[in-house]
Amino acid sequence: MLVAEQAVRRGARVGVVDVCTAAVAALPVGGAGMSAMSRSAPSHPLCSTDDVSEQLEELQLTLGEGPCVDAFLHGSAVLTPDLLTRDLQDRWTVFADAALEAGARAVFALPLQMGAISPGVLDLYADVPTALDAEELADALAFADLATLILLDTRIDETGAPAGGPIPEQSIEDLGAYRAEIDQANGILTVQLGVGIEEAFVRLRAYAYARGRRLADVAADVVARRLRFSPDAEPDRTDEET
Amino acid sequence: MDQQLLAKTFVELADNLVADFDLMDFLRLLTDRCVGMLDASAAGVLLADRDGKLRVMAASDEQVRLLELFQLQNDEGPCLESFHTGAPVIIHDLTREIDRWPRFVTAAHRSGFGAVQALPMRLRDETVGALNLFRAAPGPFDPPATLIAQALADVATISLLQQRTVHRGTVLNEQLQTALNSRVLIEQAKGKLAERQGIDMEQAFTALRGYARAHNRRLADVARAFISGSEPLAGLGA
Repeated sequence: MLVAEQAVRRGARVGVVDVCTAAVAALPVGGAGMSAMSRSAPSHPLCSTDDVSEQLEELQLTLGEGPCVDAFLHGSAVLTPDLLTRDLQDRWTVFADAALEAGARAVFALPLQMGAISPGVLDLYADVPTALDAEELADALAFADLATLILLDTRIDETGAPAGGPIPEQSIEDLGAYRAEIDQANGILTVQLGVGIEEAFVRLRAYAYARGRRLADVAADVVARRLRFSPDAEPDRTDEET
Repeated sequence: MDQQLLAKTFVELADNLVADFDLMDFLRLLTDRCVGMLDASAAGVLLADRDGKLRVMAASDEQVRLLELFQLQNDEGPCLESFHTGAPVIIHDLTREIDRWPRFVTAAHRSGFGAVQALPMRLRDETVGALNLFRAAPGPFDPPATLIAQALADVATISLLQQRTVHRGTVLNEQLQTALNSRVLIEQAKGKLAERQGIDMEQAFTALRGYARAHNRRLADVARAFISGSEPLAGLGA
């Protein structure tokens, strides 16, 4: 897998920067960057593969406009094959010129999302007018999905679950094994734990990791009410966080 | 077959296909009509994601067990076959297919189904998913009913195109992605509401849809607002 190769080359655990590097290698783009976005907290850039990408991330967060901001707000991909288009310049009056100035001509912003979970946006740019075909867009969306998981997994580390190793095999596997129960369990945990949807998902995954169980199986237990989480006494977990 | 209900259904579906309609609510209506009109005990609309995995977009019953039965067909079953071949798969007697689809047939039997049909959802030259109908009693399906079911599958497919477009060229991919994410939102909201009110998944879905209709909003938007707790949603305990 392309992303894992990048991490090996870097000699580190797979991170969002590896997704960016892999996306640049796989797609007709010159650079990629990612920002953490939130409706309630300040957004901030996470990584970028080159100077242009870095500038694009900073520009959008500073200006509060651009494809990345729109992608986050609307929850759908914003594909801009050519920034030198009249209506785009009207739409992002300041950003369009500044991005062109920075060296970007085409910009693609893909929201990182899983239902109501939306931790950020993946931005890709090209220095010439570029359209992604259906297959390339599908790949770009796959990179965004992977980045979503990695970003949330970073938080699993923060909550004290097993960390440091490579992403467990099952984590990648879970990507392909969509189950409605995972989403339902996610919603159930927001109530049982009294936390937001992102936190609930992190806790669900952390629990599955810690026990070496498949996420779908743990979720099925939650939905069938065989497993209950509680804010004070999470099963077999001593490293409580707030 | 009830001709009046059939005519009414098509008028109703056409009526729904106006700008800014609610895809999620619409697909559920479609599965409900399959059950009401076509001698089916349960129905579901499945769409393929970009990895070619079939995912439930709507079901005539939101209980976990039925959703499971649809999902299971990512490994084997009539939906998977219909999706791959682009042709209808009609099974009059499921018990005869135990060697062909051991897991699927066992699960379908456990849920009380004896016959099944899967009809392809085709858009342009591509199969994007399948409409799945289950019936409790084994036996042949009425041929006109199958034709109507295929017509409903086509309407469901067209409805995908009615979703607001962002940019040309990649419309289909975009719309599928947005639709799939809407479904994830609904599942998350069902879980939260079911847990909060101590109700089952079908009741949770019905409550969310009732709220969306009463307030003239899209189901997915209501689901998102309910999960984030960003606004008071009277009656949903938010």
